[in-house]
Amino acid sequence: MANRDSLIIQEHDVYLLSDKGDEELRGSETSLSPAEIELLVRVDGNLTVGEIAASCRLLKPGSAADAFRSLLGRNLVRLRPKGKVTSREFGTGLAILFDDTPSIQPTRKALTQARAEATAGASTLQKQGYYVRIARRDADKPKLPHGKTLSVVVVEDEPLLAKFLKQYLSFEGYSARIAANREEIIGEFRRPPLPDLVLLDVMLPDADGFEILLKMRQHPVLRTVPVIMLTAKATRDAVLKGLAGGADGYITKPFEPDALIKAIKAVMGLPKNPPKKNGA
Amino acid sequence: MSAEAFRRQLEALSAEYRGSLPGKLIEIDSLWRDLAGGMAKPDRMDDLQRELHSIAGSARTFGIAGVSEAAAAAESFLESFSKRHKLPDTAQQARFARLLDDLKRAAR
Repeated sequence: MANRDSLIIQEHDVYLLSDKGDEELRGSETSLSPAEIELLVRVDGNLTVGEIAASCRLLKPGSAADAFRSLLGRNLVRLRPKGKVTSREFGTGLAILFDDTPSIQPTRKALTQARAEATAGASTLQKQGYYVRIARRDADKPKLPHGKTLSVVVVEDEPLLAKFLKQYLSFEGYSARIAANREEIIGEFRRPPLPDLVLLDVMLPDADGFEILLKMRQHPVLRTVPVIMLTAKATRDAVLKGLAGGADGYITKPFEPDALIKAIKAVMGLPKNPPKKNGA
Repeated sequence: MSAEAFRRQLEALSAEYRGSLPGKLIEIDSLWRDLAGGMAKPDRMDDLQRELHSIAGSARTFGIAGVSEAAAAAESFLESFSKRHKLPDTAQQARFARLLDDLKRAAR
């Protein structure tokens, strides 16, 4: 292996996650520091080292090269070859939506906030035995027109749970569409109207919800769409990964339907009461 | 839709979910036997883990908390092996088999 200190990292270099790096991010445990996680979740085969460094809040100024060198030395990332990135290199999910150069914006979520929330959520999890519920409203999200029926895309591969969510959301006055795999996710994101909210499972048969979240946060249109992770992945690291990746909420399954509606209202900035009931 | 109609709809969905569980458990059992017997590649543990994960994340919502908990325990046990695509050793296999038995009992 090359001497780590001799690896040259340049600001315009673009890196891809290696299989090992991908595994590190997907796993429920990690040995990486928070700053390294923050950096690694942004490595996507598209952002340059400079762009990533500018958006990472935990990285000390001037330390990006060292951090990349460390990731490279541990084979967690690899330099992207020159030329066009293939859809495979973009990983799962939304490659097809990235036909144009995406307008990259720094992630607005502070990882420190995510860490605090993940820690608090994990202790809730330990106390209550089964769920974490975190929801936050981002003031930068677009305001909703008054009286609009909210459109929700539910990404869920368990068909009966998806059906349950669709029925429950419809009863609560939302318009829900279901997507169970990569192809359906792309289809639903392309189909108007643009969703006002996405409920996103993590463990899908052919896609990873955390990757989809990251791709959404880099997409010119989808980057402002609020996302609530709805997943049985309940470890602190998983919660941290979701929040640091730009999720607006994190609810672990099995969930209580009322808790989900409360989280949706919190994230969307809707009044807690009265609920919108169809036909009521 | 009235609240009563909605309640009936959810009850029907819960019944459908409960009805689907035995088939899912047979599939899980069959896959585990194939893995333990060397008739399935170790990477199929991902499928096994995903099935358990799915049940762990959904059963409680349909009113069977015990099934969620038992599935979560089995999934959690399997996770470290699944990540490495390494089959548990004989003693660990026996432990996992007991966890699957717990899951089947909870689903009855």
